[in-house]
Amino acid sequence: MSKNIDINVHHLTRVEGHGNIRVNVTNGKIEMCQWQVPEAPRFFEAMVRGRRWDDIQTIVSRICGICSITHSLASTKAVEDALGIEVSEQADKLRILMHYSEQLQSHVLHVGYLVAPDLFRAPSVVPLIPKATDAVKTIIRAHRVANTWSDLLAGRTTHPTTLIPGGLTQIPKPDQLRDLQDTLKATIPDLVTICEVVLSVADKMPAFERQTEYVSLKQDNPPTYTFYHGGITSTDCNGQPPVPVQQWESVANEYVHPQSTAKWTKWHRDSYAVGALARFNNNAELLSPLGKKVAEMFGLEKGNCSPFMNNVAQLVEAAHVVETSIHMIDELLTTGLKEEKVKVTPKAGRGSGCVEAPRGILFHTYEFDKNGECTAANICIPTNQNHANIQKDFQKFVPEFLDQGQDELRLGLEMLVRSYDPCISCSTHMLNVEFVK
Amino acid sequence: MSGNMTKNTIVLGLGNPLMGDEAIGVKLIELLQSASGDFPEVDFIDAGTGGMNILHLLANRNKAIIIDCALMNQPPGTIKRFTPDEVQSVKNLAHLSLHEVDVLKVIELARSLGECPEQITFFAIQPESIEQRMSLSESLAGRLADYVQTIKKDLP
Repeated sequence: MSKNIDINVHHLTRVEGHGNIRVNVTNGKIEMCQWQVPEAPRFFEAMVRGRRWDDIQTIVSRICGICSITHSLASTKAVEDALGIEVSEQADKLRILMHYSEQLQSHVLHVGYLVAPDLFRAPSVVPLIPKATDAVKTIIRAHRVANTWSDLLAGRTTHPTTLIPGGLTQIPKPDQLRDLQDTLKATIPDLVTICEVVLSVADKMPAFERQTEYVSLKQDNPPTYTFYHGGITSTDCNGQPPVPVQQWESVANEYVHPQSTAKWTKWHRDSYAVGALARFNNNAELLSPLGKKVAEMFGLEKGNCSPFMNNVAQLVEAAHVVETSIHMIDELLTTGLKEEKVKVTPKAGRGSGCVEAPRGILFHTYEFDKNGECTAANICIPTNQNHANIQKDFQKFVPEFLDQGQDELRLGLEMLVRSYDPCISCSTHMLNVEFVK
Repeated sequence: MSGNMTKNTIVLGLGNPLMGDEAIGVKLIELLQSASGDFPEVDFIDAGTGGMNILHLLANRNKAIIIDCALMNQPPGTIKRFTPDEVQSVKNLAHLSLHEVDVLKVIELARSLGECPEQITFFAIQPESIEQRMSLSESLAGRLADYVQTIKKDLP
């Protein structure tokens, strides 16, 4: 066993916060083992106060460039809940189709650009290109399909322009949906290839499990592998009916922890996990045939408690959303698409919206006065819901992998954090450069 | 698939309107878009903080102009024009999250894949303050017309 270890993955720039990994072992005794999140506090809730009900989505879509459709959908649903706005079946389906594009986009990006380099022992995706050229190109092709898919439904790749409380400002034409369907069919072999490539190096994932509570949406009527409708459940709920989304604060139980400026959460235990593996563990029997096939390829079964398998669950979901969307497009085309007018009368009210971001369940709540101006807001992002669980994983992982030495332990901990697909430092991407010529 | 015709030149505005001067790229794209009729061969795109999506926006173009906020050790409001080869990134990425993106790394990836425009020009603006605020600082807000004129000189 290594007697002394000092790991300090410390990244704190002027504005952006990052997660820090701190482990200190002296003479074989673990003196520090922490996942620290010194992220600058976010005041997005304050920014929407005083804004009109139809401005909220535009603002919150900028909270995150990767989950912008998800934030837009959560806020739109919350506004609709507060103002009592009904949404047509057509708009509902098109929104779900839009949301699926973000699941594919994010999952492929995460597995392809962040997880695969770990498994191939490459420092990033760029040096991976000569080692696995075809695999990288296949990943990029699938990511590009997801981007053009969200362009079509959301109006552009990031920060959607088509969503409005009550419906959508524009709908795709039938021939555009047919083209999308053809493209999705042609993408399935690429997804299978990506799964095979990841499977070929899956033995590089650390063998680690920890009994965990997994929280996600659950939809019983009709039973659906849901990202959008339903209530909140967990693997500790033992068949209890899902909790209505309006009561999400009683699930998240947010609290302040000295290790982090981000709030932590807990429900039935000291911590819980959200994300693809949580959705899988609560809903796996409702996956599409291809989603189930991918799970079988990796031996992923309900009840799995390895955080690293979250990345496999992301592949399962990538297959599921593509296959499911192919069928949804058939349904939309069979019913026929029609332009719909949205009419909203503002009123006072409080409402909540909950959708599954690629990286886990996301909650938005707003209150409006009688003119439809926002008077209060509360947003709880999935990554904050995972922080406490990452800390609990660290506390089990470090003693189990201590004898692998400093470098392997550090890589293992970094992979563990990455497996959760965290959303940190997402609000600013500016350049930081020095001139060389 | 989407049927969009890709134009030879793309102008990308990067940034976040919720983060003070970080919004500058998005703000300038809005202003340039309002004059897009004068530049029929150019796509003006508000790419927000879309990160790796920039890779796909650059593909199949001959020329790209990227407008972004940048820490360059210059007085606030300074605009600098440079190519990717004239700078090196000193950005400190933890590689723990998809959400951290360095545009210069995306360009490196695009080059490795043979998908990068031959000509890439940055117009970078030194911020005065990056904080959660939906407006620009005075140092930048007062110079928007100058920035637009400077960038337009590079447009075909």
